Amino acid sequence: MVRVSGAHWGKSAAVRPWGELDDPRRRILIQALAAGFFSSAGNAAAQLFGRAPGKLPAGQSIYRVSGSVTVNTQQATLQTRIVPGDTVETASNGEVIFAVAEEAFLLRGGSRMVIEKPPSGLTTALRLVTGKVLSVFGKGRPTRIITATSTIGIRGTGAYAETDPEQTYFCTCYGVADIVANSDPSSRETVSATHHDKPLYILAKGKTGGAIRLAPFINHTDQELALIEALVGRTPPFVFPIDTYNAPRRDYP
Amino acid sequence: MRRGEIIPSVAAGLALLAGAPASPRAAGYSEFLDSLEFRGFRAEASYTTDSNVTRAPAGDALRDRILGVRVSAGGVIPLSTRTRAAVQGFAGIQKFGTYTGLSNNFIGTQGDFFFRSSGEFGAATYGAFARTAKEEYESTLRDGYRHAFGVTVQKPLTDRVQLFGALTRNISDGKSAVFDTRSTSLRGNADWSLGRWETAYLGAEYRTGDSVSTVSRNDPIRTLGFVNTASKIIQDDAFNDTTRDAYRLKAHTLIATLGYNRAFGERHALDVSWRRAQSSVQNAVAPASGSDLNYTVNQISVAYLGRF
Repeated sequence: MVRVSGAHWGKSAAVRPWGELDDPRRRILIQALAAGFFSSAGNAAAQLFGRAPGKLPAGQSIYRVSGSVTVNTQQATLQTRIVPGDTVETASNGEVIFAVAEEAFLLRGGSRMVIEKPPSGLTTALRLVTGKVLSVFGKGRPTRIITATSTIGIRGTGAYAETDPEQTYFCTCYGVADIVANSDPSSRETVSATHHDKPLYILAKGKTGGAIRLAPFINHTDQELALIEALVGRTPPFVFPIDTYNAPRRDYP
Repeated sequence: MRRGEIIPSVAAGLALLAGAPASPRAAGYSEFLDSLEFRGFRAEASYTTDSNVTRAPAGDALRDRILGVRVSAGGVIPLSTRTRAAVQGFAGIQKFGTYTGLSNNFIGTQGDFFFRSSGEFGAATYGAFARTAKEEYESTLRDGYRHAFGVTVQKPLTDRVQLFGALTRNISDGKSAVFDTRSTSLRGNADWSLGRWETAYLGAEYRTGDSVSTVSRNDPIRTLGFVNTASKIIQDDAFNDTTRDAYRLKAHTLIATLGYNRAFGERHALDVSWRRAQSSVQNAVAPASGSDLNYTVNQISVAYLGRF
């Protein structure tokens, strides 16, 4: 909105028709506003310097999209809605951060994920066909994550998964997860975690009862968890993130 | 803590963090160890060019190259949901290419206390720290201890920009009184994430207090200015190209840092930075004017950083 000064209002500007303003700076400003200059400049600044994440407004699913990302094979933009039943896919250079109802996700490059419609309305399911996803889930509904090598039942959890045909990496960042190897139902584990306590590999081919192995903490950060929790209006249960930044902080002698 | 107790304590701390076999004394630390979450080892190897290792005005500024290695091990101790302590032991060497008297070894320890009100994305982390290190040079006068304590604040501004601020009191205790210095610094840093593995960072620091410049006797007028202005003077034993004197002066110093960090996975990173320091001497005494005693330093550094 452009404020018109009292002096101008009392003189000619008030009576001049729109488009005939005499001050060239005001004319440029009004034209820039009309062209959405500040909106697009704001978007560019947000792309460049980021923004403080908060709960997404109703009707908006995507918080950030970069590189090539599709939703049901259509190129995704910030305006694209994502709902149960949709397939989200990222090229190797792509990444998308989005929320669906109470759940929020960070899907990394080279991934394909299907958000399945709950068949009975009781359990939602994610099918991570390939790639890497960080997810946070609301406490209300039990959810299943199906990967190439595992099926994981979770409740009110933050979790990170990477999957390929050989193995799945799964970190219960916090909450409870029941993990079962697809190839060997006797390989199962229940993890109750407060802060990345027990990351696991779930192998496609493992000994009977031995297809689940301990893994290190890799490829996801607490800052990312806090970011996607913020998109659905929540705060992660941990207070201090694990420091991952490795730049030197040398003192000047 | 007396001087003689510091190195054994630091060594014991490093050994404990590394899980070395316990000495009888280490048994007393068992409760401490139980609560300590070990955060691994860090290593840094760097190559730096420094345009002014003498911290002297133009004409006496000497350029050199420095190879550095630093290793550290640390852990955190949760104290409550919102507070925690961190401890770190570190050691390293710096090798100067030409002015080898400046080459040094150091070993030290740092303790931090942190408070954060919640895990909310934008919540600030407040900290207080104390650090002490012993430094041994190939020359003698600089040998001694360097201590620092202060307060810090760290806050994510956006999902790409993180801010850091610190107010620090620096105290050095050298073999010569010239190298017994006190200064206070206010520092701000902004880390700008360019992508998942890339970060650009910008730092600014204002420091006020003691500063040491090493200057030859080639210019008698300027030498007289240094002599009249300095609070302590000694013939510097780190340089043997000509006779040079080290002067302890009161100065304001502005330090700017611009850096780029490229990570290769989560455990390795390459870091390139440029740092410029400009120091202005306070209360210059005739025949010197302030500008005769001021100096500028440019440092360019390339470092490999690893975590194990």
